[in-house]
Amino acid sequence: MQQDPDWFRNVAEYILREGLPTTLKLAAVAVIVSTVVGMVLGTLITIPFRPLRALIRLYIEVWRGLPILVTVLFIYWTATAEVGGFRFELSAFWSAAVGLSLWGSAQVAEATRGAVQSIPREQHEAASALGFGWVGRHTFVIVPQAVRRLIPPMVGLLVNIIQNTTIAYVIGVSELLETANRQFENLTLAGDGHPFVIFGFVLALFFLISFPLTRLAAYLERRLV
Amino acid sequence: MDIVFAAFDWSFIWENRAEIWSGLKNTLRAAAIGIAGSFLIGVVLGAARAHRIPVVSQLAAIYVELIRNTPILVQIFFLYFGILPWLGYTGTPFLAAWLSITIWGGAFNTENFRAGFEAVPRQFREAAYALGFTPLKTFLNVTLPIGGRIALPSTINTYISVLKNTSLLLVIGYAELTSVANHIQSVTFRTFEMFAVIAVVYLALVWTLSALVRLLEARLALPESR
Amino acid sequence: MKRLGFVTVLIALLAVGVAVTLGTAAPSREGAQEARLPAKPKLPALPAEIRNRGRWEIGVKCDTPPFGYQDTDGNHRGYDVEVAKQFARWAFGNANRVDYTCTTTASRIPTLLSKRVDIIISTITWTAEREQQIDFSLPYYGAVGRLLVLNQTNVGQLTSWMRGKRIASTSGSIYDRWIRNCFRDTQFQVISSPGAGVLAVKNRQVDAFMYDDAFLVGVAANDPGTKMTAHRFLNVPWGIGIRKGERPLKRWVDTAIAGMANRNMFWPIMRRTVPRRFYSTFRANVPSPTNKLRYPRATTPENNCPR
Repeated sequence: MQQDPDWFRNVAEYILREGLPTTLKLAAVAVIVSTVVGMVLGTLITIPFRPLRALIRLYIEVWRGLPILVTVLFIYWTATAEVGGFRFELSAFWSAAVGLSLWGSAQVAEATRGAVQSIPREQHEAASALGFGWVGRHTFVIVPQAVRRLIPPMVGLLVNIIQNTTIAYVIGVSELLETANRQFENLTLAGDGHPFVIFGFVLALFFLISFPLTRLAAYLERRLV
Repeated sequence: MDIVFAAFDWSFIWENRAEIWSGLKNTLRAAAIGIAGSFLIGVVLGAARAHRIPVVSQLAAIYVELIRNTPILVQIFFLYFGILPWLGYTGTPFLAAWLSITIWGGAFNTENFRAGFEAVPRQFREAAYALGFTPLKTFLNVTLPIGGRIALPSTINTYISVLKNTSLLLVIGYAELTSVANHIQSVTFRTFEMFAVIAVVYLALVWTLSALVRLLEARLALPESR
Repeated sequence: MKRLGFVTVLIALLAVGVAVTLGTAAPSREGAQEARLPAKPKLPALPAEIRNRGRWEIGVKCDTPPFGYQDTDGNHRGYDVEVAKQFARWAFGNANRVDYTCTTTASRIPTLLSKRVDIIISTITWTAEREQQIDFSLPYYGAVGRLLVLNQTNVGQLTSWMRGKRIASTSGSIYDRWIRNCFRDTQFQVISSPGAGVLAVKNRQVDAFMYDDAFLVGVAANDPGTKMTAHRFLNVPWGIGIRKGERPLKRWVDTAIAGMANRNMFWPIMRRTVPRRFYSTFRANVPSPTNKLRYPRATTPENNCPR
């Protein structure tokens, strides 16, 4: 195998064509699911009902406490079931998506809890006085205000999830790191792997995506909170 | 569910206990150095940033932004396959293991300590100057103890993340706990049981550390913030 | 007399010409046998699930040239992949009716057991221990284990050299077992892929990388800084992995492999996947009508420690 002098273009094209869309898709799914599930759980945990709070607290502590890699590996190897004659299994992509979402939703739940509990008592009292029940009060008064406080950390979470999609490499999802590593190995066997260029390229890609978002989060923190 | 558990053969855990224990030790080893290292980097660079020391402050800012905006896994690859071979390092993955998580944790800790130092009320430092303390003495006797305590929750969260990130080191062949689990399941094929066991171990470690955090927070937190 | 002599010479020349033509064709026994066989063997029925799906789901290597790897367009290539394609041709008439799942040495058996794939064609060496977990098809390749070292490394007698050295191989491989069983004083360094093993040698992070000959031959040939030592060990064939109890599938796969071997179809696949100068090295590794591979059922190769 000769080293193609044009090797970088081929490698970069492959990484961008195969890896980047998968990374973005994985991040998008995980962010959306984490946000929805997390906000629901984070609001529910404020209900003064012990068993429910304990259950949600357990969920949060487990999925935040485990390394995401261990969660993803565990799901990948156990998410197969046979019901009747129908076989069900999670693909590597969806195992990673579920694992990331479990972690992400636990983070969002904790942040939501903090935000909801930081809304002053008076808001609750005023809403009750106006005739809102618990659900109405939270839906129309409390949560919208909490959301404002949540936006900066949510942008931060988005950045975190984008970085953490690289964990999916370990179970073989063809995202940015996996595609880059595949090319690195092919090139190594052909003579020189060019690790600085290839992994530097991936670092640069992630930086270009994440840095603006981090700046945005800082800006929003100043403006909204 | 009882039927399910009975069908699992847990004896392989006992048979492989030496390897599992060795994996756990490696996890703790790398995490300990990572935590100590990130503490040192965080204090030094955080102080440089908070006091706006020229050159060092800017370089530290670049370091922080680079590390925080890129995935740790890619940093590990870059270090292990790029930098270390280029420097001619020929040892085991242990160096790359603790170095990569130290560099990662140090960046986050720099921000944690910077925020902590900057949150020390101005009047404390002014009082120290008035008493004739040099800037260094002020830092060591006033800013660091107080700022450090303010930063305590965020720094310990970083240390917990450093511990959890040791699981990623399996990609460079460092024989920590997750790597050991992967190896054992590849020869015993008891995949579910193996990962269930290490999940319990990680949770035990992380929850213990978190409980320690809460204890320390209660004891060491500043009176005002109680 | 002259005319008789002339005719004799003519006949002799003709005879020589015919003999040369016949001689340079494939060995006559193989050629005759191939010619007698129909293009496709009589295969038993495919299991219903695969038949209804219309596609194979096969686990292959994606990081181990020349057996399973991906090119820059993302296409799966290699010896194992060609076998998979042949199965698709014979099952569905189209070589593209396969969905490939990338597996590593550590993940291939769990991938099979968790039913993510129908079969695994994943450079898996037969061992008695593995046969307790999965069924092996008839052998489809015979590998030999080799050591890759830097050019300047001198390896004399294997057992004494191995003491105190760091040797890399993939997690769960037959080399993993063999080193841990037989070389207690050797430090085993797990690496996540064969490419990483090569790098570990080149970067001097390990003293040697132990792996299959076909992969290492390509590496040593391309890289002037590394070489294979002369030691050969663990000469055990590979099989296709099938879940236990799936008899119809095993019958289909075995019939297909036997059919490919009898029609000498493995050798052309090998020729397509390795450079010409390695042909002689690998001829004996592929099954053919004259080369039958067998699993060493009487021994446990990974416990077979050299003295």
